Amino acid sequence: MLLEREITSWKRHKAGFVVEDVSTIIKESVEATIGGNAYQHNRVNQWTTSIVEQCLSQLSKLGKPFKYIITCVIMQKNGAGMQTASTCFWDNSTDGSCTVRWENKFVYCIVSVFGLAI
Amino acid sequence: MEEFNSGEEILQVVFNPDEISVSVKECVEGVIGGTDYNQSKVNQWTASIVEHSLTHLVKQGRPFKYIVNCTIMQKSGAGLHTANSCYWDTATDGSCTVRWENRTMYCVVSVFAVAVAL
Repeated sequence: MLLEREITSWKRHKAGFVVEDVSTIIKESVEATIGGNAYQHNRVNQWTTSIVEQCLSQLSKLGKPFKYIITCVIMQKNGAGMQTASTCFWDNSTDGSCTVRWENKFVYCIVSVFGLAI
Repeated sequence: MEEFNSGEEILQVVFNPDEISVSVKECVEGVIGGTDYNQSKVNQWTASIVEHSLTHLVKQGRPFKYIVNCTIMQKSGAGLHTANSCYWDTATDGSCTVRWENRTMYCVVSVFAVAVAL
């Protein structure tokens, strides 16, 4: 009886927005796209596109009943200040978000994923 | 046969990006119009912009969930690139991005609206 209850509660948790899984997907996607590269003006366009598309395809493979919005910002490291804020009007019990800040020696990369339950 | 008109209005569930773009611009102007980049205040500015924009959107009373994202960056020659990708219902959901700048900073605000099933 106890095992059945545990399985049900695990299933309910897995159906929701799981921040750790999404965070892993984002990190892998950014590492694979930018890795140790320096900021290159003519390539950064492809990088942002590649990161959001890879994240989106991995997320839709999870097969959960969510709509997703993915935002990616890549900034060259040269001393400029930058601030980002987000606010959301949604259903706190079913929806969630995950933001990953990544950097190497030359660039900052910030990726946000918002998941809204259908 | 008499025709019976119930007199009810049909609530239009369509995202209107132009209207939103105008109200977001006014919001940004109201918060940072005429100021220079100030590291100690930029935190309050981004928070203020997203909150005011969201309040305005919610007041419209439409059946949408919203995500409002604001980025402020100092003008110092650094390169910045952003990308968004969305997995949703293209018939009912939509987004709108507003770019604003003055002498010392750039401000990019993105609004995403996802229809709620009634």
